[in-house]
Amino acid sequence: MTYEEFADARLAPLLRYAVMLTGEPHQAQDLVQETMVRVQLNWRRVARADSPERYVRRMLTNQYVDWRRGSWVRRVLLRGEPDASVPVPTDHAQSAVDRDQVWSWLSRLPRRQRAALVLRYYEDLPDVEIADILGCAVGTVRSSISRALATLRAEYVEA
Amino acid sequence: MIEDDLRAAFARHETLTPSTGPLRVAIDRLAAVRRRRRQRFQAAGVTLALLGALGVGVPQLRPDRPAEGPASSGQPAVGRSGALNVLLLGVDGFGEQPPYRLADSVLLVHVPADRSRPYLISLPRDLEVSIPGRGSEKLNSAFYSGAGEPRPDLDAGYDLTRRVVADLTGVRVDAGAVLTFAGLRRITDAVDGVEVCLPKEVRSWHTRRTFPAGCQRLDGAASVDLLRQRRYLPDGALDRDRNAQRYVAGLVRRVVAQDVLTNPVRLTALLAAPGKGLAVDDDGLSLTRLVAVLPELESVDPVGLSLPVGTPVGNASRLPLDPKQGPEFLAALREDRLAQWVAQHPEQVNPVR
Repeated sequence: MTYEEFADARLAPLLRYAVMLTGEPHQAQDLVQETMVRVQLNWRRVARADSPERYVRRMLTNQYVDWRRGSWVRRVLLRGEPDASVPVPTDHAQSAVDRDQVWSWLSRLPRRQRAALVLRYYEDLPDVEIADILGCAVGTVRSSISRALATLRAEYVEA
Repeated sequence: MIEDDLRAAFARHETLTPSTGPLRVAIDRLAAVRRRRRQRFQAAGVTLALLGALGVGVPQLRPDRPAEGPASSGQPAVGRSGALNVLLLGVDGFGEQPPYRLADSVLLVHVPADRSRPYLISLPRDLEVSIPGRGSEKLNSAFYSGAGEPRPDLDAGYDLTRRVVADLTGVRVDAGAVLTFAGLRRITDAVDGVEVCLPKEVRSWHTRRTFPAGCQRLDGAASVDLLRQRRYLPDGALDRDRNAQRYVAGLVRRVVAQDVLTNPVRLTALLAAPGKGLAVDDDGLSLTRLVAVLPELESVDPVGLSLPVGTPVGNASRLPLDPKQGPEFLAALREDRLAQWVAQHPEQVNPVR
């Protein structure tokens, strides 16, 4: 597989995944850009992996989790307020507003917990694979997901 | 039920995903830039050794360089007859913790038009200078201000320091390099150590090692250790600058003695040595062009000098330019008559051997 073929097939899903992680299109673009530049520069190593797709997802997830250490965050911070040109889709029903609260609560979770939630409830991956991507034990995945869910449930009670 | 809400929230926000077209283009562009920068890092070691220390290939360098320094500082363009000024910055701990750094060694290598011998001019790190956008600051902070946070950028730190030095001295900076501790260590080891001649014993504040007076061959780790020392030295940072000159003089001797310039195997090893510990300002000069030209210097024994500074006033840690000797020295530098200045001020020469 060439880099071009990989990008053709995987860029869009990666970008969707990044949107779920960051909750915001610009940061998602920056995250994917930074990751894919490194993928392109090190393509031979990426292509040698058992599953290049999973390898790149792990790179992107690490980049997201290591936010503070990563170089991409600086550009994000410099950009200031998020652009309003891409509105968050809204439903008319009050129940939809309530559900959008779930989305905003996600931003308060620690990044590893949010990543674990996205991998399980958006990407529908088994815990073994989530553990591989996050570089931790399966038990750690389960406990961070249950801690994240507990945090969200507590928000429900308060709201 | 919260799980269902989560799934629904994720699915609903899929529409936030932007299109991939522009992103794909941006990735390709940025990857191309990084690929070029990577190649620049590769040329680093040889540029330090050849350009910085020996002043090789001067006439070939000039046409490629845009007018810099004098033009931006409003000073008349001088040194037209082919004098060369190379800026070497030593920064501490890059890529280690803490990650951002000051340029504590600022060395301007001046090669006169007559190619008689190189002059190593230390610019004291505590010198008070005007930094664009920052006002009056110490010279060493220009690198830090330019490099930025959280992950510093060697190129940007160099660029701002180069601007400050060009404004301060009024000379054009033709080329330059930034060397970190790691890069310094690897370069030293690549030439199997560098002989450094010390007039007085130096004790390390960091490792408790003692460097005896006299000449000694230092490996990479020892060289880094020596060049970090400031606290136990009578003249502090100024003495450290003198030791940096002694190191560069030793590196030059070593490179010449090993025929690095004419031996492709040795050259390749030195070239690869510093890796990411060194960024280089060569503006696209190809390596082959650099090594194709031989040293033109009559003597490679450098003259060690330091920009004359006065005694601190007010803010005790900042050094002003010496009110009388400073401008005289800078005029001599700009007009490429340092040999004459040195003859008039022999006491200002730092013995490097």
